[in-house]
Amino acid sequence: MNCIEIKNLTKKYKDVKAVDNLSFEVKEGEILGLLGPNGSGKSTTINCILSLLNYEKGEIKIFNTLMSPTAYEVKKQIGVVFQDVAVFDNLTVYENIDYFCGLYINSKEKRKEYIKDALDLVELNEFTNYYPKQLSGGLLRRLNIACGIAHKPKLIFLDEPTVAVDPQSRNSILEGIKKLRDLGSTIVYTTHYMEEVEILCDRIIILDNGKILATGDKDELKKLAKIEEKVTIEIMDLKKSHIKEIEHFPNVENISYENNTLQIVYKKGKNNVVELLEYLNQNKIKYNKIFSERPSLNDVFLYLTGKELRD
Amino acid sequence: MIVFKTFLKVLNKNKGIILLYTLILLIFAYFNMENGETTTNFYAEKTDIYILLEDENIGLTKNLVDYLKSVSLVKEIKEEKLEDALFYRDVSMIIKIPKNYRIDTLNGINREIEIQSTGDYTASLEKMLLEKYLRIQKIYLNEQLEETKVIEQINETLNKKVTVELTSTLDRSSLSKAKLYFNFSNYAILAGLVFVICLMLTIFKEEKIKKRTLVSSLNYKKYNRILFLSNGLFTIILWLLYVLLGFVLIGKTMLSYHGLFFMINSFIFSMCALSIALLIGNVSQNKEALSGIVNVVALGSSFLCGAFVPMEFLPKSVVKISHVLPSYWFIKNNDLISNLEQISLKEVHPIITNFAILIGFIIIFSIGTNLISKKKLKQS
Repeated sequence: MNCIEIKNLTKKYKDVKAVDNLSFEVKEGEILGLLGPNGSGKSTTINCILSLLNYEKGEIKIFNTLMSPTAYEVKKQIGVVFQDVAVFDNLTVYENIDYFCGLYINSKEKRKEYIKDALDLVELNEFTNYYPKQLSGGLLRRLNIACGIAHKPKLIFLDEPTVAVDPQSRNSILEGIKKLRDLGSTIVYTTHYMEEVEILCDRIIILDNGKILATGDKDELKKLAKIEEKVTIEIMDLKKSHIKEIEHFPNVENISYENNTLQIVYKKGKNNVVELLEYLNQNKIKYNKIFSERPSLNDVFLYLTGKELRD
Repeated sequence: MIVFKTFLKVLNKNKGIILLYTLILLIFAYFNMENGETTTNFYAEKTDIYILLEDENIGLTKNLVDYLKSVSLVKEIKEEKLEDALFYRDVSMIIKIPKNYRIDTLNGINREIEIQSTGDYTASLEKMLLEKYLRIQKIYLNEQLEETKVIEQINETLNKKVTVELTSTLDRSSLSKAKLYFNFSNYAILAGLVFVICLMLTIFKEEKIKKRTLVSSLNYKKYNRILFLSNGLFTIILWLLYVLLGFVLIGKTMLSYHGLFFMINSFIFSMCALSIALLIGNVSQNKEALSGIVNVVALGSSFLCGAFVPMEFLPKSVVKISHVLPSYWFIKNNDLISNLEQISLKEVHPIITNFAILIGFIIIFSIGTNLISKKKLKQS
């Protein structure tokens, strides 16, 4: 069953199309990743879905109901965590969560229970009486999430919730999101961090210039890139003639040598390292580290758009 | 309910600023009331003059000199220093009685008495007294009476006294205190309400918080209504606090019909301040600019409209400009109420007219707020 159905969504800012004829669905219980560089239309798409923005064309249905600013019954089941931290500086952590939860739930008792669950989820139990200004960037982001999901919504939008967050907090946030999915929530997750998408998302939509470039799970997407192996070796002072020779190895798609690091991208095969090591040994070329990896979503993005995801 | 409760929580965390404005009101109102009591006793003042007598001091001339001596303080100054005396205001007027004044006057020749004066109000008073004497003298001279008879008639007329009694049952001192207190409350009400309401609107309508509210299942119109009612309640609480302080500082006058009018006037003005605060809060969402806005609105209108300095001492151009501000009508009403002798349509009518003007301001500001918030919602 689909939680969200979007058909031919188009949003313009004057003459610029921020979202261009977008159509996709979000299935119940999945984590859908909206992946794209800054300005690709991720946040605009979410704002249109939430009726925060008017749009020129298209149809948005959530839980089979046409979404509008007054669709309060639908809104009851939606939780949103915006990119910018949106909390009251004058209220404590507990009071903030209570307020935003209170916009959906009137019962004080029920709220109390829900706030406890939200605090557990984002691991902020020790900071309930702290004011936002007393929290670190990571803790603040966790509070932001708690405020958005405390009312236990069925559908959660997370718009780049880990921007400028320390690794410890990031892990905690990602773990929390997984828990939400396990509890039965459907999640729409936007980010430009491909690692997060790889870890979290069941399905991914790659956006650029307001258009869908590709959609599928991470393996399906990686197949699109037609790359099978990426080998990285640390070599001191590699001669240009050697680089040219390696370039002519079978299946080599691309080769680069920068900062004493040689990177070779292979179109096919998973055991290209053996041949490479033999060549290095024969030519008595010394190397320090060597590792092989499967292509990342960044490679997919590079293949599809010709630019890096974080450009 | 959660919005209202959170409003109160945030308000509670900003109570310092409310206490600060209340303290300012208390201190300034107290000192104003101590020093600003209206004088109820009057005493006559005599003008310093010099009489340059060139005529013989007999008959009509002597009577004129005696009269001037009785109504003024005649100073002895050397003739060569007369100009200096006038310049340094040792005397306000020099009256020159010319040679043959008596004879010529008795013969029907109009002899002018030359005067030199500083032109200030004491000189005007002296001129008035001199003219009065000369008018009476002329009347009796026209009747062709003998000189002694003329002098007799003049003195008799001048000695006639009419007693004018000003009676009032009002406690002028207490009413003056009340007027000063409520005039000063113009600043405290405006500053307190504009600062706190704008601050609350800035906090609750901050773009990020607004977005969260808009995506929630709470009707945004209802949310705005709750915020409006919360601000309204705060206005009433602040008004009650200031009225209560009025009872403490002014006392039983507050229990009279004067007190009732002062309270109604300050209530309508508080509502007007609420509408101003809501308008500003909708236009500006900048916390840092708040202090500046409060100074411009509260201090500016208090100075322009005579909350600190009575309107009588303000330049006419300033008073004219102040007509466009609600504070002017509030303070004008305080003045009218403090002079209200009795409840009659004639006396109460101007006060009620000013109430209506203040209500007009409320309507105008409310329409402005509505238009701006609708425009902003469309833009966002």
